[in-house]
Amino acid sequence: MQSSAASASNPGAVGVLEAVILRSFGPEGGQVLFTRDTGQVLLSRSGTRILTALHLEHPFARMVVECVWKHSSATGDGSKTFILLLASLLRLIHAAASKGSNVSHSYSSTKAAEAATARHLADKLLAFGLKELDELIATGVVPYGGCISWEDFTVEAQTSSLTNNLCVQKLLRSFFHTRCGYTHCDFSSHLTCELLSHWNFKNQLPSFSLQLVSDYFPALHTPVSGFPVRSSRLIEGQVIHRDFATPPLKTDHQPVKAVVLTGSLQPTLLSTGDVLELGYRGRMKEERSILHFSSWMESSLQGVIAKLQTLGVCVLLSAVKQSAAVLALATQAEMCLVECVSEDELSLFSQLSGTTPIWDCSMIESEHVATLAFCRPIQLGAHRYKKHTSITIKPCSLIICAPGEGQIEQYACALQDAIRMLLRTWEPMLAAATTTSKSTLQSHKGASLHTDSLTEQTPYRSIAIQPIQKPGCVLSAGGLFELLLHYALLQHGHSCSVSPDLNIDASVSQLLANALLSVPQKIYSHSPHHFLESQRRVEGPLGDVSELDLGLESVSCKYQLLLAVLQCVASLLKVDAVLPTHTALHTQSRRLARTSWEDTEDEGEG
Amino acid sequence: MSRLSKKSPSVCTDMPLDNTDICSKLHLLKQILTSCFGPTGRLKQVHNNIGGHVVTTSASSVLLSSVSSSQPFINLIKTSILNHVSRFSDCGLFAAILCLSLIEQIKKSALKESVAIRVNNYLLALCTSYLQREDCGCRVKLDFCSTQNLITLARSVISSKPACVLTEPETFHISKLAVQAFLLTVPCSSPGIVSFGRIVTVPVEGHSVLSSEVLPGLLVEMPDGLSEEDKLLNPLSVVLFSASLAGDISELGDGVIEAHPDVDTDSQILGQLLELGRQVINDEVKLFMCQKVIHPVLQQYLRSHGVIVVERLGIALMEPLTQLTGAQPVATLHTTIPPKTYGKVRDLCIKHFGSKTMLHLFPLGESAICTMILCHRNQTMLNELKVVCQTAEHVLRLTLREPFALVGGGCTEINLAAYVRHKSKSEVPETASVLMCSQTEYLLGVELFCCALESAARALEHDGGSSLIDLTHAHRWMLPADAIKETMEESLGFCGCGLVQSSPSKKWIYLSTKYSDFCPSSVFRDTRVQPRVLDSFTAKLSALQVAVETANLALDVKYIIQDMN
Repeated sequence: MQSSAASASNPGAVGVLEAVILRSFGPEGGQVLFTRDTGQVLLSRSGTRILTALHLEHPFARMVVECVWKHSSATGDGSKTFILLLASLLRLIHAAASKGSNVSHSYSSTKAAEAATARHLADKLLAFGLKELDELIATGVVPYGGCISWEDFTVEAQTSSLTNNLCVQKLLRSFFHTRCGYTHCDFSSHLTCELLSHWNFKNQLPSFSLQLVSDYFPALHTPVSGFPVRSSRLIEGQVIHRDFATPPLKTDHQPVKAVVLTGSLQPTLLSTGDVLELGYRGRMKEERSILHFSSWMESSLQGVIAKLQTLGVCVLLSAVKQSAAVLALATQAEMCLVECVSEDELSLFSQLSGTTPIWDCSMIESEHVATLAFCRPIQLGAHRYKKHTSITIKPCSLIICAPGEGQIEQYACALQDAIRMLLRTWEPMLAAATTTSKSTLQSHKGASLHTDSLTEQTPYRSIAIQPIQKPGCVLSAGGLFELLLHYALLQHGHSCSVSPDLNIDASVSQLLANALLSVPQKIYSHSPHHFLESQRRVEGPLGDVSELDLGLESVSCKYQLLLAVLQCVASLLKVDAVLPTHTALHTQSRRLARTSWEDTEDEGEG
Repeated sequence: MSRLSKKSPSVCTDMPLDNTDICSKLHLLKQILTSCFGPTGRLKQVHNNIGGHVVTTSASSVLLSSVSSSQPFINLIKTSILNHVSRFSDCGLFAAILCLSLIEQIKKSALKESVAIRVNNYLLALCTSYLQREDCGCRVKLDFCSTQNLITLARSVISSKPACVLTEPETFHISKLAVQAFLLTVPCSSPGIVSFGRIVTVPVEGHSVLSSEVLPGLLVEMPDGLSEEDKLLNPLSVVLFSASLAGDISELGDGVIEAHPDVDTDSQILGQLLELGRQVINDEVKLFMCQKVIHPVLQQYLRSHGVIVVERLGIALMEPLTQLTGAQPVATLHTTIPPKTYGKVRDLCIKHFGSKTMLHLFPLGESAICTMILCHRNQTMLNELKVVCQTAEHVLRLTLREPFALVGGGCTEINLAAYVRHKSKSEVPETASVLMCSQTEYLLGVELFCCALESAARALEHDGGSSLIDLTHAHRWMLPADAIKETMEESLGFCGCGLVQSSPSKKWIYLSTKYSDFCPSSVFRDTRVQPRVLDSFTAKLSALQVAVETANLALDVKYIIQDMN
C-alpha cells in the first residue's frame, strides 16, 4: 500500500481553485460560462456552481467543494470569499508551521513536524473562532454597521418602494452584483423587494413568509426566454404552468370555485391483477356484456360531474391526465380542467386556499372547494398558462425573462439564494447565543468605553453596542468587514500579549487578521489606490466608512462564513494521507489520484 | 457497477474573448449573417455531411438553428438570438449583427469590458426611452382606419426574405392576403374576453403564387362518397367526436379482460355505435366529424342516411372546428348526446386546388377562423413562404399591443445613432462619474455603440453601393456604386424608408466619415408621403435590447468550463 503525502499539496490545490474563482470575484469579476454534460449552456458567478462544474478528481479539492456547498446551501452567499479565505489561511499556516517547526519535538522528519504544527495551529484557530470571534465582531465590527428591521421594510415598501427599504435594497443590490453582474443588480434587487413585500403576512413572523417564498420558489416563478431581462415582472395571482385542457371560462364572473384532484375522475373498474370474465360458461346475460361495464363507468362519471356542478365548481386542477370522456363531459358542464399540474404548484395552491386535494371524487365535500378571485389564461412567451388568485391572500408570481435559458436559471438561482441570505440575516443565531452569552456580558463593559464615543459619528445612530445575536445587522460591502475585523483582531492580539498566559492566542489572532486582509486586497486588485483609500478610511475617523457606496452585506452571514472556513481548515489539516483503493473499474485510479490534480491545473492555466 | 464510468475533468478556457479561435469564429458568424441581411441579401444553402435535405434560406431562424458549434461561447449568442426570434419572429438578423459588431468593436478598442458594459447599458436605456417618445424621428403611428401601413409592414417582412423568390406583384398579393387574414382573425364584436381566431394554412405546390387566397371558414379533407350535386338544406347541424369510434374496447383499468369464445364483444360494441348513429340521424345531424377513426360500418350506415362523414381530423383541427361550428366535442358513447353539443355550419362546398379536393365549411355567423391557401412553384420556396407568412401574421398581431412601426431601410439605426451621439455629448462629466469611468472612456464607448448601430444599417447594402446620412433628419440614403458624384441628388431620390425626399437644401455625408453631432429633427408628416418600408416596433425594440444584453453578457464572460462527459 502506498500513500501520498497529503498536507504538502494542500495550498497548491486550493490555490488553483482560487485562481478560477478570482475570475468572477469582486467588482471587476465576470461570468463563468459552462456547459453541462447534456450540452446545456449555463452562466454563473456563483462560486458553488463554478466549483461543482469543474468535476474535480483531487480528494482535497473535492472536500473543499463539499464544504463550500454545505456552507452556501445554508447561507446562500459567500462561496467565493470562502475559497479566498481558505487559500490565504492555508498559506499563512504553512508559512508559520515551516518557520516554527524547528522546536524541540522529536519528529522523524521536518515534514511531519510541519504537519503537526499546522494541525495544532488550525485547531487553535477553530477554538479561537468558536470562543472569541462573535464577541470581537460585536465590539469591533457591529458598531460600524447598521441594522435592517423587517418591520420598516414591509410597512414602508407598500407605500413607496423607491425611497424606503433602502437598506434591504442595498443589501440585495450588492448580493446581485456579486452573483449576476452589474448590469441588472438594481433591477433585480428592486424586483425581489417587491416580491417579498407582496408576500408579507400581517400577523406572521418575517421568517415565515421568507421561508414560504423560499420553499415554494419553483412554483412561484415562471421562466420566459427570448425577452430582455428588463421585461421581468411581478404578476398578480399564482401561475399554474399548464394550459387548459378544455376551453377556458367564457365569462369573467367572480368568484370562481375550484377543486384540486390527485386522481382520475373516471372510476377504474379493473385494477392491476383483476380479471374480468365475459360470457361466463357460455351463458350470455345482458349484465355480463362489456357494454354494461363501460356504460356503468360513464354514468358514474356523469354522477361525479353533476355533484361538482351542484357545488358550483367550475375549475378542476388535476395532478394526473384525465380521460377523453372526462374532458368532454367537463366541457359540456362548462367546467374548465387543467391536467398534469405539478405537485409543487398544487401544494402551494392548497396552502393558499386552505383546502385539501381529493383523491376520490365521490367523497367531495364543500371543504374541498376553494374560492378564487379570478381564473384566466395568460400568454407568456410561447406557452399559454393558467393564472388564478385566491380570494383571501393576494399572492403574486414572478416572471423571469432573459434572452437565454442559461441566464434565466442564473437569475432564478440568485434570487433563491438572496432569499436564503435574507433569512439568515434576520435569523437569530441560536447556537452561538447559547455558548457565548456569558462572555458577551462580561466584555460588555470594557468594550462600551471604546465604542460609545464612536457611535456618535456613525451614520446608523440607532445602534449602540449589541451582541452579534441581534438579527438583521448589516455592514458596507467591499471588504469593510474583513478590514474592521483585521484591526479588531490585531488589537485583541496586543491586549492578549500583555497578559503572559495567553501568549498563543496572540499569534493565532495575528494569523487570522492577516488572512482576512487578503479579501479586500483581491477586491481592489484592479485598482490598488482604492485599497489604500479604504484602508485609510477604516483607520481614520469612523464617519468616513460609509462613503464608499458599495452596498451592504450581512454581518451574520460573514460570521457564519468565517466559522465554516475555520472548520474546513481544521478538517483539511487533520488528514495526513490519501489512500487510493482499487476497484475493478478503476485500474489506474492510484495513478489518477496523484496526477489528476496536475491535469486540471494545466487546463486551468491553459 | 460495470456501467459506471469515471467522470472526466472539465476543459477550461480562460478569457474567451482573447482567444483567437473564438474571435475568428465570431467574425465568421458575423460575416455569414451580414451577407443574408435585407431584401438584397444573399441566400445560404445548408446541407449536412450525410447527404440530407438541402435548405435554401436567408432567415435567421432557419440559419442559426442549423449552424451548430462546439464552442459554448458561440452557442450562448446563438440561443439568445433564436429565443428572440421564437418570440417575435422578426428582426433576428438585426439583433445578431448588432450584437456581434458590438462585441467586435469593443474587443478591437482598448476599452475595458466592465466599462463598456456600463456604457452600453446606459446607452440602451437612452435608446429605448427615445423610441418610446412621442417626437421620435423614426417611429410611425399606425392607423387602423386604412390598410396601407399594415400592408407596408407585411410587405417589408415578406420582401426581406429573398428565398421566397417573389416578383413585385406577387409580393404585393401575398402582403394583401396576410393583412386580410389577420383582419379576419380579429373578432369584431364580442364582449368580455376577446380571443383571437386562427389562420389555418394549406400549402399547395405547383401553382402560381397569385392563385393563393384567403377563405373564411375551414377546409377539411374531402370525405368519400360525396358528390358535388348533393344539395343540402342550410344551415347544417354538426356533431364532433373526440373519442375513437373504431369499435375498440373502452379503458376499464389495468386489469385483464377474458372473453369467452361464444361472446361476440365486437358486435356488441358495434351495435352500441350504430345506436349512437341512429340517435344522430334522429336529431337531423348532417355532418358527422371525428378526431379519430370511425368504424366503416357506422360510416356506411350514416352515409346511407345522407350524413356527410369526416374522420381522422387530428388534434390540430379540433380547436378551430369547435370555434367555427360552436359544437362541443363528445366522448361518451352510452348516453344520449345532449342537444347543446351540436354545432352549426352555414354551408359546405367543394374546392379544388391542383390535385387537392377539399371540403370548405362556412361559419354560421361571425367567426374569426380563416384558411390561407398558399401556392408556390416548388416545395423549397413554399416552405420559406409559409415561414414568412407566419412571421407577417405575428408582426401584424404585435401591432395590436403597440400600434406603432419603425421606419425601415436602415433609417431607424442611423437615426438612433445620430440621436445617441447628440444626446450623450451633453453632461459628459456627470454621466461619466455615474458610470464610474473617465470621460474619454465614456466618449469612446458612445462612439463604439453608434458605430455598431451604423454597421447594422450598412449591412443592408450588398452590391457595392455606399450609405449616406443627411444632416437634417438623419435618415439613410443609398448611393449605387455606379452613381456619378455630380448627379448625386437625382440618384438618391428617396431615403431608405421612403419618408424623406431629396431636395437641394439637404446635405449628405458618407456614413463612414465623422460628422459633428446634431439633433435629428423629426420628419414633417405629409400625409401624401407614406413610408415604403416599415419594421415591427415591438420586435425591433426587443431585438435592440436582446442584442445589447447579449453583447454585455458575452463581454462579461471570463472563463469557460466545458463538461466533457
